[in-house]
Amino acid sequence: MNPIELFGKIIEISHSNLEISSRIKSILNIISQDLHYEEVMAYTLDQDKRLTCRYLNDRSTLFPILNKYRCRVGEGIAGGVAQKRAPQHFTSRDIPPRFGCLFYPELDGQIERFKSFAFLPLSDDSYLYGVLVAISTREAIQDSEKILLSMLSREIGGILRTYSLIIESKKRISELATLSELGRVLASDVEPEELLKNIALIVAKALSAQFVTIKLEYPFLRIGSQRFTNGTIEPLMMQYVNEMEIESIKNKRSMSLKDHISEAEEGHLRFSLHTSPMMSKNRIIGAITMGASKAQYFIAEEDGRSLINTISNYMSNGLENTLLNRRLRDVVRELNDAQKRLIEQEKLKSLGEMTANIAHEIKNPLVIIGGFAKRLAKKTHLDQTENRYIDIILKEVTRLESILNEVLNYVKEGPTLTGACDINSCIDEIISLFAPDSTWKDIKIEKMFDNKLDPVICDSQQIKQVFINILMNAFEAMDGRGTIEVKTEQSVVNGKMFMSAAISDTGGGIDPSIMENIFNPFFTTKEKGTGLGLAISNKIVTNNNGRLEIKNMVGKGATFIVYLPLENKTGEGFV
Amino acid sequence: MKKIKLLIVDDEENIRILFKEELEDEGYEVETASNGFTALEKFRKGTFDLIVLDIKMPGMDGIQVLNEIKNINKDQPVILCSAYGEFKQDFSSWVSDEYVVKSADTGELKQTIKNILSL
Repeated sequence: MNPIELFGKIIEISHSNLEISSRIKSILNIISQDLHYEEVMAYTLDQDKRLTCRYLNDRSTLFPILNKYRCRVGEGIAGGVAQKRAPQHFTSRDIPPRFGCLFYPELDGQIERFKSFAFLPLSDDSYLYGVLVAISTREAIQDSEKILLSMLSREIGGILRTYSLIIESKKRISELATLSELGRVLASDVEPEELLKNIALIVAKALSAQFVTIKLEYPFLRIGSQRFTNGTIEPLMMQYVNEMEIESIKNKRSMSLKDHISEAEEGHLRFSLHTSPMMSKNRIIGAITMGASKAQYFIAEEDGRSLINTISNYMSNGLENTLLNRRLRDVVRELNDAQKRLIEQEKLKSLGEMTANIAHEIKNPLVIIGGFAKRLAKKTHLDQTENRYIDIILKEVTRLESILNEVLNYVKEGPTLTGACDINSCIDEIISLFAPDSTWKDIKIEKMFDNKLDPVICDSQQIKQVFINILMNAFEAMDGRGTIEVKTEQSVVNGKMFMSAAISDTGGGIDPSIMENIFNPFFTTKEKGTGLGLAISNKIVTNNNGRLEIKNMVGKGATFIVYLPLENKTGEGFV
Repeated sequence: MKKIKLLIVDDEENIRILFKEELEDEGYEVETASNGFTALEKFRKGTFDLIVLDIKMPGMDGIQVLNEIKNINKDQPVILCSAYGEFKQDFSSWVSDEYVVKSADTGELKQTIKNILSL
């Protein structure tokens, strides 16, 4: 075949859409057939920089022997050609052929029939990709053939180069995809816990790691040490993870443990680990650690490491921003709440003062009206009608007086008589007051008491008033027919211990439009209510450092929950 | 037998009239004072078996009057009487012998007086 035709064929193959191995194999076959080499093989460089015999022509017989051996650049003939990047041609008379660093005994009796050998580097101007080996039984190789062979080796080098570029860019694309996915997650509006779990998942997927664990230590935001893990970490590995995290955070440097073997009673464990510190604006916010069993030691390889470090940097900045934003949002919300509560308290306070003054001013005239009406009633010469009128005046005076007493009770400040109060028996006592009443006969009361409840330090008389108010409301909401459930338990709110007593009714719940006003004094939906029951209850519970909460289920019923602090020594309750 | 003598101190004229008439009906001799100064003046001049003191009064309030009285004669029986019970928690009100919340029903006041005078 003439050289033009040959190159035509080669170019056609190298630009085809065939798999890389098929393309190289086809070229090796052409070399074999058209240039009459019985054995044509290509060594390529592996990840660990060793030459491996990877591609062969169809009729190769040496390949099954040679592909078992790997050699470093510089070792043997193939290694020497790779190092010098200069082709070598020799015949069987020159030296006994040594392909790698060793003489392969398996080649004994195989190699004698070959007369000429050609070793050519597969490279371009900058990179070496491998070595082409062509072996022939012909004795004389012409110079023109050598030139042809060297041109073909360059063509194979080109194919390998394109391939490695594609692999490289695929890797970059997947890195970018990972980073963009991280970006999306960092920008998402989820809680920090969820966010860190998502990050661990994405990183584990991108690096095919057995596990990824993120340790967050961020004193700046008063975030205690927390860990988020995707995958499972064997206890033995965990020791190494902990140590590496500490070192990595201390020295602000990544650390790797490559293909480590650890002997333990349960058997030995072989693994690789890599830890990167998470730094944001020179501040350490934690460490991210990836682990894999021996088979996936990519983790500790250079490529993997650089990706991990990139991810870690990118993530740390984003994570800090997210955490700062969250924190800021929380603080703003807390401030808003506090402001709202302050305004509410101020409002109630001034309302209270005004009410107290008015009540006081009204009380005296009322005493006078009622007092003289009573004196009038004692007169003997009054007729029936006059007596009836006086009765009406007295009744109304009594009603006004009782309203005034309630109002004045409401504006009274602070708990007065504090002592240890057993909430369960307190509620029991109230229920036993109501139960005998015939109007309560269709009310079923279900008690679910926590019998281990510690006594609560509070004003028990006031707290009784609260339960009476809530129970009466429940009773009225149900029109005297239904089920009241009373449940007491210990609960932790904001890290503090509270007693909670939840009273649920089946009275259809509260109209959502009035929920906002429910604790406001003088707000009532009852025909004869003063609108003070819940206002007073709320105030009493607040004064006792607790909180009154409502869970409203429209159409079903309402639950009133009284929280009272169980550790009230410091006077700190709900803030 | 000599009548039991009471002093009613209140800035509201109609309260004074009401209490005076009600207590006179019970058989007491009743004098009144419309403020703390007059009350102290009357207390120094005469002897009263019992003094009923309103707390909220302009000028000198009932608690001050109570302290003056008890300084002069710590055995002088005094009842504090107020529109509502806000002073019950005030330590200075504890030196009084009793505390009654004003009401159209004067029954409680009358009973308290009886108890103090051990009638």
